[in-house]
Amino acid sequence: MRSNRSGTVIGLVTRRAVVLLCRVVTVERPPAATPDRTSRRWVEQLHSGHPRHEHAAARLHDVLHRAAMHELHRRRGRLGALAGPELDDVAQQCADDALMKILVRIDAFEGRSRFTTWAYAFVIFEVSSKVARHAWRHHPLSRDDLTWDHLPDTLTPKPGDQAERREQLAALTKAIEEDLTPRQREVFVAIALNDVPIDVLALELGSNRNAIYKNLFDARRRLRASLAAAGHPLPEDEGHA
Amino acid sequence: MTDLHRLDELLRAQEGDAGCAAGVPIMGQYVEIELRGEDPSERFPGTAIHLRVCAGCRADHDGVLDAARRFGDLDPEE
Repeated sequence: MRSNRSGTVIGLVTRRAVVLLCRVVTVERPPAATPDRTSRRWVEQLHSGHPRHEHAAARLHDVLHRAAMHELHRRRGRLGALAGPELDDVAQQCADDALMKILVRIDAFEGRSRFTTWAYAFVIFEVSSKVARHAWRHHPLSRDDLTWDHLPDTLTPKPGDQAERREQLAALTKAIEEDLTPRQREVFVAIALNDVPIDVLALELGSNRNAIYKNLFDARRRLRASLAAAGHPLPEDEGHA
Repeated sequence: MTDLHRLDELLRAQEGDAGCAAGVPIMGQYVEIELRGEDPSERFPGTAIHLRVCAGCRADHDGVLDAARRFGDLDPEE
């Protein structure tokens, strides 16, 4: 049953890839590097007209599936009770989607790495995306995850702390409240203070990892600047523009 | 780790950080440099900085590196 599904999927994604390839406006670029022989064989045989296309696509799908399964196990801490056939289904979906993207972008492979290493990146990104979506659906963020209230216990001043330390943390609290934009505050509180995974927050906010990271970076830089302006510069103050 | 260093880590925003998107197209190349035992930060300093700070991208990088080590290079004709 499983092999039938995979075979069907490979046929399907191959046809979809051919259609998409026809739509893509290809700009011929000189190869940035000379691919090794094995990589060249992959690229040749994965082109839809090659007589070994089906075999090569099935072989690639097989290793992408195994890589996806391994990666899902590596990230099992975020998958809750997902296991057995359901976990394998997710691995199949990751392999299917990765294979389709690889076939569509096969001519974008520049030979700067081995073909298989380039291909592994596609399936790992698929796993990353699907794990985040699973976590977001099954463990929705709470209001506390996103709302600024107070510094976490690891940072709050202890009774024995010196006055300088207490003033520094008071300055940080004030800066979080007054110097960040609402989006910067939300992102900083969720990721830096409450350990919310960046991809889960991106899904929650209808954004993407890159944009959320930019919010976080800007928030951190602004807080560092605020601390410095308040007379509490941090030791490695590389963050100032 | 002292409290001051913990705070420094919490607010780490290093100049030259390439961000998340920059690492996607070069991830295979970055990992292969590591597999050869070389230092990718010489060729990709911005992504090297980024991977130290961004847990999401670091997890992806670690996954690609692990897959390349575990499953290696395969031939389509085997």
